[in-house]
Amino acid sequence: MTLLVGSFTMGLILSLLALGVLISFRVLSFRDLTVDGSITLGGSVAAILLASGWNPWLATLMAFFAGAIAGTTTGILATRFQINGLLAGILVMTGLYSVNLRVMGKSNLPLMKESTLVTFAQSFASSEAKWSFGRWEVSVQDICVVVMVAGLISSVALLMYAFFRTNLGLAMRAAGDNDQMIRALGVEVGWMMTFGLALSNALVALAGALLVQYQGFADVQMGIGMVVWGFASVIIGESLVGSRQIGLLLVGAVMGSILFRLLVAIALRWGLNPNDLKLVTAVFVFAALVLPDAITHLRKRMATT
Amino acid sequence: MLEIENIAKTFHAGTPNEVRALRGVSLKIEPGSFVIVIGTNGSGKSTLLNAVAGSFIVDTGRLKLKGHEITRWPEHRRAQFIGRVFQNPFSGTAPSMTIAENLALAAKRGRARGLGWALGSAVKTDLYERVRAMGLGLEDRLDHAIGSLSGGRRQSLTLLMAGLLKPDLLLLDEHTAALDPKSADQVIRLTEEMIRRDKLTTMMVTHSMHQAANLGDRLIMMVQGRVLHDFQGAEKQRLSPEDLLARFEEVRCSEQLDETAAEMLSRQYV
Repeated sequence: MTLLVGSFTMGLILSLLALGVLISFRVLSFRDLTVDGSITLGGSVAAILLASGWNPWLATLMAFFAGAIAGTTTGILATRFQINGLLAGILVMTGLYSVNLRVMGKSNLPLMKESTLVTFAQSFASSEAKWSFGRWEVSVQDICVVVMVAGLISSVALLMYAFFRTNLGLAMRAAGDNDQMIRALGVEVGWMMTFGLALSNALVALAGALLVQYQGFADVQMGIGMVVWGFASVIIGESLVGSRQIGLLLVGAVMGSILFRLLVAIALRWGLNPNDLKLVTAVFVFAALVLPDAITHLRKRMATT
Repeated sequence: MLEIENIAKTFHAGTPNEVRALRGVSLKIEPGSFVIVIGTNGSGKSTLLNAVAGSFIVDTGRLKLKGHEITRWPEHRRAQFIGRVFQNPFSGTAPSMTIAENLALAAKRGRARGLGWALGSAVKTDLYERVRAMGLGLEDRLDHAIGSLSGGRRQSLTLLMAGLLKPDLLLLDEHTAALDPKSADQVIRLTEEMIRRDKLTTMMVTHSMHQAANLGDRLIMMVQGRVLHDFQGAEKQRLSPEDLLARFEEVRCSEQLDETAAEMLSRQYV
């Protein structure tokens, strides 16, 4: 049961990553690989600030802004300097590896006694308190953490939903959907892309900051493969809600992230070697990208013959 | 309103694919006039519209719109004065967004876009009325993705979007060429209505001699990146599709001579 609650919490935290990837991947149609670097950046910034005694809310907020700066950099490389989007992301991601080491001062930074958002949530219950559901027992502290994270993610998702219905948000969606059209309507597409990437990576860094506080340490390697996790969550989410409407996409990304994390937990429980996890994820995303087209293609051929 | 002063544009300069798309075009377009632009393939008629819209910056020459020197302005900045409809019906709308959202985007053409609701109730009612006035029965489908509509309907909506804020200059680039005849007629009818009602200054490129003869109060015929004929007033009104075809035939005959040879001949004998 603890495993289930743990995976659920992880899924919730990483749904911020999924929401960030949703902005770049689906809204802007930009394959942004900065994510692997910016999630670690968020984690390192939060960790070092917490270790030096900052208020956890402020430290988390600073991680958000650090991510925004990373995204802006990718955006400027891609739009002002006309570098291919994938390459721009790779450049920033690679550069961030050194930045993250600089920020933390070493490759791994444990958070032992520092007060974090997680300890803050836990402070609402005593460590012995248990709730039992039939034969399962759950620590109330764990529940408190889930509730806090869920509250945070819901507010972020709601804010995003509201934003994408404002004039500015509409223009951002149009910039990803049909740049020729929105340019003719007076929007500078490059600026809009940069702004979107900043927002996307800020959310990813926020996920990193929460992740570090939840697992109790920051590691310079923690971002490897995260962008693929984000893709996986977004893709699962889309098939769950079966729509490209922005509100449903947001809900889908959160659900996809949680479901994906639970699937991973189950697979590990059944004896999947953790070392194989990234390969399995990559193959899964490949299948999810290719299968829908392959199926429609097959159906067409079946229909014609 | 619009002053085009000897503009020229060469694409892929210095390569084997060099195209001298515009070779010195000058035009002065008065407010409220409806200018038809015709020409053979590759004559530079669409390039002329793109030069005005700012899809690229011209190599030489100047552009002045509504008193502003816009020669070096990027496309998105010129959008505050210009409404556009493209040849491809898919170019003018954002397919995954709804009809209402597309219209709301157009309702902010060239203006600051902030954090106000894009589809407040006042905006929604206004858009509903506008769409209803088009008479296509789309007013009850405002929340559908625009990508699910046919090319003709998308083009009608693109036209509505281009004219939503009464642009100082409306640019129509063969906007019916990709449509079936029935949709094309409908879009032309809407175009005429809108231009007449709002007294829009318009430049319209067309392939159709029928449209060229029947619409507009001025007609420009382009050949090889230059303006060959410029018919205005009564002269324009007298033109029939047959006259225009005859003019094209003349061009075709003269083009059989190599361009430099033609120039040499005209210098020697004319």
